[in-house]
Amino acid sequence: MNKILHTLKFSEAGVRGIVGDSLTPQLTASLASTFGRYTGSGRVIVARDTRSSGKMLEQAVIAGLLAVGCQPLILGIVPTPTVQLMVTHYKANGGIVITASHNPVEWNALKFIGPQGIFLDIRESMELFDIFTQGNLDYCPENDFKELRYETNAFELHMQRIFKEIDIESIRARKFKVALDCCNGVGALYSKHFLEELGCKVVSIYDKPNGIFERPPEPLAKNLTKLSETVKKHNCAIGFAHDPDGDRMTLVDNNGQAMNPQSTISLTVEHVLYEDPGPVVVNIQTSRAVEDIAKSYGCEVFYSKVGEINVVNMMMDKDSEIGGEGNCGGVIWRRLHPGRDSYVAMALMLEMLALNNESMSDICASIPKYFTISDKFPCSTFRAREIIHEFNKRYKNYECITFDGLRINLPDGWVLIRGSNTEPVLRLTVEAKKQQDAKKLLHDFSEEIKKIKI
Amino acid sequence: MRPTKLGSAGIRGVIGAGLTPENAIDFACAFGTFTNGGKIIVALDTRFSSEMLHQAVVSGLQSCGCEVHDLGIAPATLLSFAIPKLKADGALLIGGGHQRASWNSIVPWGANGAYLNSIQLRELFDIYYGRRFLTCRWDEIKKIIPVPESIQEQYFDALCKSVDTKAIAAANFTVINDFCNGSGSALEKQFASRFGLNSISINNILSGILPHNPEPRPHSAFQVQSLIKPLKSDVGFVFNSDMSRVSLVSDSGETLSEECTFPLGVDYLLSKAGKDGLRVISNICTSKTLDDVVARHNGILEKYTTGQSNIIDYMKESNAFISGEGSGSFTSNDWLPSFDAFYVSAVILEAMAVKQKTLSELVAELPRYHIVKKTITSSSMNAYNRIRALKNNFKDAKISEIDGLRLDWNDGWVSLRASSTEQLIRLISESKDKEIAEDRVLKIHALLENSI
Repeated sequence: MNKILHTLKFSEAGVRGIVGDSLTPQLTASLASTFGRYTGSGRVIVARDTRSSGKMLEQAVIAGLLAVGCQPLILGIVPTPTVQLMVTHYKANGGIVITASHNPVEWNALKFIGPQGIFLDIRESMELFDIFTQGNLDYCPENDFKELRYETNAFELHMQRIFKEIDIESIRARKFKVALDCCNGVGALYSKHFLEELGCKVVSIYDKPNGIFERPPEPLAKNLTKLSETVKKHNCAIGFAHDPDGDRMTLVDNNGQAMNPQSTISLTVEHVLYEDPGPVVVNIQTSRAVEDIAKSYGCEVFYSKVGEINVVNMMMDKDSEIGGEGNCGGVIWRRLHPGRDSYVAMALMLEMLALNNESMSDICASIPKYFTISDKFPCSTFRAREIIHEFNKRYKNYECITFDGLRINLPDGWVLIRGSNTEPVLRLTVEAKKQQDAKKLLHDFSEEIKKIKI
Repeated sequence: MRPTKLGSAGIRGVIGAGLTPENAIDFACAFGTFTNGGKIIVALDTRFSSEMLHQAVVSGLQSCGCEVHDLGIAPATLLSFAIPKLKADGALLIGGGHQRASWNSIVPWGANGAYLNSIQLRELFDIYYGRRFLTCRWDEIKKIIPVPESIQEQYFDALCKSVDTKAIAAANFTVINDFCNGSGSALEKQFASRFGLNSISINNILSGILPHNPEPRPHSAFQVQSLIKPLKSDVGFVFNSDMSRVSLVSDSGETLSEECTFPLGVDYLLSKAGKDGLRVISNICTSKTLDDVVARHNGILEKYTTGQSNIIDYMKESNAFISGEGSGSFTSNDWLPSFDAFYVSAVILEAMAVKQKTLSELVAELPRYHIVKKTITSSSMNAYNRIRALKNNFKDAKISEIDGLRLDWNDGWVSLRASSTEQLIRLISESKDKEIAEDRVLKIHALLENSI
């Protein structure tokens, strides 16, 4: 198979590829031009994460936007949620973020934000790609060119917006000691300052913003050994771990126990519903703990497809204030903006800690316990679909959710099989009340997947 | 046909219609591949689209693993000086130069600080057409390094050594500079202070707005001309936007043809050298004034294919004394291998200072001809054939086809060339007699129009 075709991935999560292989400046510039035209040749916010290919691709994006008469407003290296906020703050026509989020370091991607400050959904993405495929871009003549603009203070605006919505005085009064794992991403530039503004004393690790990830970039419990040690060594009240672009967050409790990313959403849902009960929207790869918590407040839970934009669209639809993606520790609190935001998640967690007068481990123990584990299998998009079809047939007598892969609901848990939007892999996620049950489910279904011959 | 041109001055085109971010990146990648991911300097001028091309070019070079040194907004001359100084493997200059608004270009330079020669260009274009470029991995992408501003000091140090700075400073000249809002104005203050000039600059905001046709021609010089007398100036310099050419306005307010610039320089430099048999290189369409001046100093004039890179490359290769073109520029063998309008201006000032003559007096010593230049829009597809077809209409002339078509009569000459930078035919006619020169232009223009 041709490797170049294999690593490039167009989806509603943006256009991803490997730098030096499939994601070239040429492709990047044309995509930026297409996006610029698609959004009406106005102001477009441009930002990136700390990856070493970021600057190179940023320049291609700027060139592409300028050439169709857009005015790029450049934020430099900022968290992805900051960009979403800036799109609405500046009433821009859209935004382009250069980040492959949690993908490995050799990857990079363009993510497209619409004028509402939310990512393009599947339909809009397909429209964009349709225009791109047709080629024949309508570039503008030289006298329609606009000048570049820069905004170096974007994160400060983002931070102040968060501070307006939470009880900062209570947090500051507690003077928490916090451990922070920046994953050499955007967090390295801003998170320490953010937490210090909340009166925290911060011990940070992996805090060089050089994009050379010293741990695997997904904030999964197994990747957070050093953060756990740091929490223990410095007696911290809590530990926070970012992904490279600062939209997702995983917790470590005061005993140094790294939580599953699922806990991030469970805890924030608990905290937000306590003050402000209402419907909750999560993706189908989210722990049943959220359902249990919502039930205790008499609130409903709605499930969406995986992917930030799908959760956000359903939140709008159901008029839900809180939601997110359990599998990746992405919290969406619409009061601030409709997008995953690790700074919102950190602020909410600290507020919960400040108002509860309990240790982090006690708080974690008080929420329903589930074990969620997953595995992935290299697999083309087409083959992933065929496998899912096969499972659909085999498990048709179970309670199933079929709008995104296949989720089989079991009395005490669930199994989810779906193709990834960001990598050529098939993901298997299982959840159960007991750890050994989860392990058995994962083992059994892995074997079943491997045995399918398609 | 899309208005894009590949030629001795790199890739040129109308922004949007011909020159897009994609082919700019492709061209930069071709250059990155050509230099094997080397150390590359990048500079740009002030055109509106230059920043777009700059971003595209740097991105493309980085994707090839090049180490990019960014000179920012800078004229060609400074770039030419910086390349060997920084031991770079080459450079890309983004800018419209003398071309109309809406055009822009990316010009490739070699490690020696000159335009690429024809052999290097052919190799570069082959890579560009093939579109298979060197790529580097994410962890091999190099950082962009800004070129220190001290490079300007170093450049003027070198320039001051190459001319008689003392004599110029002592003369206390008043000059008017027209930078056409180009990158030259970034160096204006240094130029004035180094040579002790009372310098008045116009059109010196760094901007994409072109205050007049950017080609240094008499009709571009009216703004300077109107100031010469009121400000009691000794000379007016009309620069193009990348500082590679200049036309002069004399103290009497005469807007001199750009064809005078080179003969004035040659006249002075040959007399300063004081040797017979020095070789002067020019192109086939430069005024006969030059022939006469070189003959006066017993020099040898050799005519070569038009274009800065061809002329200078030939001068370097054959170790000639000086090379230049009628379009308003020259460089000598011991100065930069590129046309440098600051150097040209300094030589003219030196001539005035040392000879203690006004510019109008120096010009009066030149044999003058009437030269008529005309451009005729013609797509390159037709231009070559249209020019060739004309040949049969002039049985009475001596014909040369070294570069386009040159017709020589006893009382003048005509040159017809397809421009290497634009979709144009360039028609030049010269004669002692103004009417003869003009008649020939009209006649040939009519023949060309009828040949479609």
